[in-house]
Amino acid sequence: MPGDNRRIRGPEESQPPQLYATDEDEVPAARDPTRLRPVYARAGLLSQAKGSAYLEAGGTKVLCAVSGPRQVEGGERGGGPAGAGGETPAALRGRLLCDFRRAPFSGRRRRAPPGGSEERELALALQEALEPAVRLGRYPRAQIEVSALLLEDGGSALAAALTAAAIALADAGIEMYDLVVGCGLSRAPGPEPTWLLDPTLLEEERAAAGLTVALMPVLNQVAGLLGSGEGGPTESWAEAVRLGLEGCQRLYPVLQQCLVRAARRRGAATPP
Amino acid sequence: MAFVTLSEAEKVYIVHGVQEDLRVDGRGCEDYRCVEVETDVVSNTSGSARVKLGHTDILVGVKAEMGTPKLEKPNEGYLEFFVDCSANATPEFEGRGGDDLGTEIANTLYRIFNNKSSIDLKSLCISPREHCWILYVDVLLLECGGNLFDAISIAVKAALFNTRIPRVRVLEDEEGLKDIELSDDPYDCIQLSVENVPCIVTLCKIGYRHVVDATLQEEACSLASLLVSVTSKGVVTCMRKVGKGSLDPESVFEMMETSKRVGKVLHTSLQSVLHKEESLGPKRQKVGFLG
Repeated sequence: MPGDNRRIRGPEESQPPQLYATDEDEVPAARDPTRLRPVYARAGLLSQAKGSAYLEAGGTKVLCAVSGPRQVEGGERGGGPAGAGGETPAALRGRLLCDFRRAPFSGRRRRAPPGGSEERELALALQEALEPAVRLGRYPRAQIEVSALLLEDGGSALAAALTAAAIALADAGIEMYDLVVGCGLSRAPGPEPTWLLDPTLLEEERAAAGLTVALMPVLNQVAGLLGSGEGGPTESWAEAVRLGLEGCQRLYPVLQQCLVRAARRRGAATPP
Repeated sequence: MAFVTLSEAEKVYIVHGVQEDLRVDGRGCEDYRCVEVETDVVSNTSGSARVKLGHTDILVGVKAEMGTPKLEKPNEGYLEFFVDCSANATPEFEGRGGDDLGTEIANTLYRIFNNKSSIDLKSLCISPREHCWILYVDVLLLECGGNLFDAISIAVKAALFNTRIPRVRVLEDEEGLKDIELSDDPYDCIQLSVENVPCIVTLCKIGYRHVVDATLQEEACSLASLLVSVTSKGVVTCMRKVGKGSLDPESVFEMMETSKRVGKVLHTSLQSVLHKEESLGPKRQKVGFLG
């Protein structure tokens, strides 16, 4: 017989059983603060998207797809002011729309698909980091859509999504000034401010502060920066940013190889 | 944010002036505009503040309500932020236009308070796992004149300083039923300590230098800004890059140093103004919205 909702008094909300488990304090293992987890990156795997990329770093798995440039009905945005560089007025510049989504099974607790303000904040961070790299002036009245889907969160999710999005944009053939490489950092609670590069999920959860940096490696420009927590004085944050930028530079050759392999695959698939 | 149309010549004028440490209104690169802060302007709230920074006008109201603590933190109360960009500020905020900016500012506020030391959340707990104080901080943007984040963070700090939470006692019956009793004296309240509440300092990159407290015109010339949230002791709680452009790593480090310097001065002057206003007592002259 189907359950009688009026007589069976169950809780309205559901919680994972781990919440009621006794707190076994898992301390993250000590490790070299500058180690980067091995990265697997592949571009050009989705057939329906213009460009796509899959990135795996430790336990973090991100899938990113790019579609566009698509025509936008101009006019509703109205005439904005001329961009500071002076090349194309804001109404004619292309737009980059970013979307960041977590799969419901990506974290420890199930999160229903409309993720709310955290996902919107990360989508905004993605957009702010990718805009300096994309030549939007070459796509007037068009919009490029980037959507990142986090399949599993194993730490530094935003950094992985940034890197995957940049590879996907390059794979889609969108004109860019440079790739964007993202790197995550976290600081363990305690008096000595040691920052750990590329934290795992356990290190991130136990962290007192977290930071994500995005770098354009060839131009050596910081494209994005987002950090919060009790990081300590500015010197400690400056050290963290330096460590992050170094990590981004080390990651760059892997992405170059991934794009070269994707180009070769595409070349082999379409015989002349 | 609000847009201003500037010609190329005006932009060049602003950029060249900033190179020489001279801005259009005569300030130096690290000077704030004249700030007016007034607390206790709205009578129905537990605490309120109004801040006028040049043409930027912000009104913050804090309401303390009782609720259940979050499952992960059963011994603490919490803060909820809501930012409303009123259509009075600029015509772009009409209808749903201001929602995006409002969520962005609210998310930034959540970030800067997302650590143990900013506000003592344990003092907001009434009985663990059952009752706690939830502070609903509502920010109203009345007029947009550039540098929204700084003004909002100053207003939030002033409103939290002004917040008076009624003292409450939990009485337990013989059967174990708990009853909450509000104290009879309306002035018997707990005050929050805002020593470690951070303030946001936004540094806009214009040309090769950066400026603090940019006006709308200066924001139109700047492609990238760094938002740093710093406490009175120089501890940074949040860092964010805003804008379409990119920043040089050396500029990032310079901007962080500047924010620490500027933040310290901002905090000392804000604290002294708030203490002076409070010492005037309930008989002080309220300017409110007429000044």
